[in-house]
Amino acid sequence: MPLPFRRFTGVVLMSFLALLSPAHAEVRQTSVWWLPRNVNMFGHEIDFIFYLILWLTGVTAVAVFSVMIYFLVKYRARPGVPAIHSHGNNTLEVIWTTIPVFIFLALAIYGNEQWTQMRLRTPPADALPVAVVGEQFGWNVRYPGPDGKLAKMVASKVGKDNPFGVDPADPDGMDDFTTYNDIVFPLNRPVRLYLGSKDVIHAFYVPEFRLYQDMVPGRVYDFVWLKAEATGNFQLACNQLCGQGHYKMFGKLAVVEESAYQDWAKSKATAPTASVDKSNPVPVSLVKK
Amino acid sequence: MSTIAATHVGQSHGHGHEEATGWKKYLWSLDHKIIGIQYLFTSLAFLLLGGALALLLRWQLAFPSTQVMTNGDVGNPIALPFINPQFYNALFTMHATVMVFLVVMPLLIGAFGNYLIPLKIGAGDMAFPLINELSYWFFVASGFVMLAGFFVAGGAAAGGWTAYAPLSSVAAYNGTKMGQTLWAAGIFVNGLASIMGAFNYITTIVNMRAPGLGFFRLPLTVWALFITAFLLLLAVPVLSAAGAMLILDLNFGTSFFNPAQGGQPLLWQHLFWFFGHPEVYIMILPAMGMASDVLSIFSRKPVFGYKAMVFAMIAIGFLGFIVWGHHMFVSGMNLVLSAAFGVSTMVIAVPSAIKTFNWLGTLWGGSIHFTTAMLNALAFVAMFVIGGFSGIFMASTPVNIFVHHTYFIVAHFHYVLFGGSIFAIFASIYTWYPKMFGRMLDETLGKIHFALTFVFFNLCFFPMHNVGLGGMMRRIADPTAYEHLRSLQPINQFITFAAIGLGFSQLLFFWNFFRSLKYGKPAGKNPWHATTLEWTVDSPPGHGNFATTPKVYRGAYDYSVPGHPRDYIMQTEPDYPDASVPKSSPAKVPVG
Repeated sequence: MPLPFRRFTGVVLMSFLALLSPAHAEVRQTSVWWLPRNVNMFGHEIDFIFYLILWLTGVTAVAVFSVMIYFLVKYRARPGVPAIHSHGNNTLEVIWTTIPVFIFLALAIYGNEQWTQMRLRTPPADALPVAVVGEQFGWNVRYPGPDGKLAKMVASKVGKDNPFGVDPADPDGMDDFTTYNDIVFPLNRPVRLYLGSKDVIHAFYVPEFRLYQDMVPGRVYDFVWLKAEATGNFQLACNQLCGQGHYKMFGKLAVVEESAYQDWAKSKATAPTASVDKSNPVPVSLVKK
Repeated sequence: MSTIAATHVGQSHGHGHEEATGWKKYLWSLDHKIIGIQYLFTSLAFLLLGGALALLLRWQLAFPSTQVMTNGDVGNPIALPFINPQFYNALFTMHATVMVFLVVMPLLIGAFGNYLIPLKIGAGDMAFPLINELSYWFFVASGFVMLAGFFVAGGAAAGGWTAYAPLSSVAAYNGTKMGQTLWAAGIFVNGLASIMGAFNYITTIVNMRAPGLGFFRLPLTVWALFITAFLLLLAVPVLSAAGAMLILDLNFGTSFFNPAQGGQPLLWQHLFWFFGHPEVYIMILPAMGMASDVLSIFSRKPVFGYKAMVFAMIAIGFLGFIVWGHHMFVSGMNLVLSAAFGVSTMVIAVPSAIKTFNWLGTLWGGSIHFTTAMLNALAFVAMFVIGGFSGIFMASTPVNIFVHHTYFIVAHFHYVLFGGSIFAIFASIYTWYPKMFGRMLDETLGKIHFALTFVFFNLCFFPMHNVGLGGMMRRIADPTAYEHLRSLQPINQFITFAAIGLGFSQLLFFWNFFRSLKYGKPAGKNPWHATTLEWTVDSPPGHGNFATTPKVYRGAYDYSVPGHPRDYIMQTEPDYPDASVPKSSPAKVPVG
């Protein structure tokens, strides 16, 4: 094989390997100054409002600063030119009170409408239930087994030896399996999260999902759901200061094709739930192909 | 005037106490001017300390001591090895605590509130001089109590300045039982200082205004401090109570906040933010008031829409108490509540917009003198606009859940607190330093300091918006621990270099400040040709301020009145035209 060709294949192979390497979250090489890509169904609405506000404030800011600079240049002190004696103008006051009132109210009502819809939209029946319980400093994750049902979480039962607050006799929980710092979501399938905390407040934060939810201990949050629209490897980060190890309380979060998810779930479900090795979580090799 | 103090103490010269001399003057003076200057020096010292903490934590973010290098070594070669993750948490916790409770509040309210209120309303002193001095010493004590945390087992509090329970309230979770207790005790004592100051200010402004000085003739600085005093009086006790509960939880087995024993973590958040959001306005209202006065003086124009400005501040004061829930959108709040807080939060942006438009109106048609004070006041307006706009992103609940607790919000509140409050404080120091010390600050040094501060400030804090949108969380000791944040690391290093530039630029200010005490040009009574009462007396004013109680004939902003020989009319000047007005050449601001 001629040398240039060999080099070319090498580069291609290497980049392929890099693409396949499953343990690494996406490292952005371009547009590091801007938002990461959005992979969640709900992210579109959030991004839309973000850009709406960005345009509104951006245009206003340019206008305000232009006027300010114009005034500073035009009305700089010059000998013999006295200042205008004016105490104000009530018509102007009314105008620049009324317009912001309408803009801000419209923004508040629109944003709240979106928020309410996002929160009230009930997850479809086929949504995959996943329980995530934070602790200092890691993530307990619980998946349903073949029955598709998670054991019922009771906030008051969440504790040291029972991170998910489940009844051990709960028939729905018999086939559940758990992981530690390791989350996999199937592509294009709604996922309903049940979030809780064993000790202090943690927060479930994945920027690519445009998702942040505090997990206050003593509660189970059952209203958060999402639908991943693209595959990839991400990082779940705790985004509520939770102590000394807060900065490294992160977990792997992969979005994979449904079939790959099924394979992964099968491999996990056969492993005994009780013996989750927390110190050295088993690496997942997931991304298909 | 001063009826309360005078009748109680029975002193003849009307402000209730004799002048202290020598070293006693600076240790136990009851003179509001000395107390104001004590506050000024003490909080400037704390500013240096808080800044140093900030530079340490910025260094850790750029060059983390925990970073795993490509060769497998742990630790960046130029990292500071003593910054471990727990110490990093203590650094940002104490940076915020120092800046909020020991720098911005005492500078705005302690230093300028004390110094300016009696002088601007024509009073000899505060209504309760002894309580005033007590308030200062409580403030000093609170600082030492908080900072003592660095020297106890476990280190200083490391739960963030918001001290969310149960991390803060359970020793097993935070590992800093003693430090957190000292923090809470410091907050409690600091709260007492604020409460003492607040009712003193209110009593003074209500009872001791000079004859003729109606409420709508007050300078906006006094209005702002008056409204702020009410906010303090209503908000601070809530934080003090919360601090006391935190001490009980940590040390005496109660369980207000720990759900494992039946407590409620959200109770802390409600108490904290019920204080915390009015606190935001406590830290900006006096800045708004003083910046308005500075803008007016150096535009040689009345404040545009004076009454609108007053009502806007009153509106901010009221609304400030019903928006606290927007800090808790992500806690899983009931939808009706989040709707209410979302709307009230958007509505509170309206008075801020009104104020901004009126500041622009004040500039319109003016004769603008670009003194250092004016430049800082203009920067205040511009930076406050940016900080206000980034706040709108957070006020929108859906966007909030994306940017919450990222560097976007760190950028936001630094634009308001540094870009807003600190620039306004610089503007105020340049304006009133001549009155305080009888000498002018050096304008050339001042302008260099302003330019460097303005440029480095923006280089430091603007990119934080971007790393925040990029997904970088606040309060993490090592961003390189996250794969998805590693590509942002060059921006973090850039921010750190800008922060170092910003920090070292402040040395120019301190040099100017201390050098001018001795070598500054003598100021005279009224170097800026301003109209209000403090400019009618000597610089610095003598004990008791006014030889005779001044009589006020007009509002605080009679600049450039057509036909008058000068471009300002003192508030004490009887109706114009008046034969007693001395003939003088058209006014010219001496510098700039």
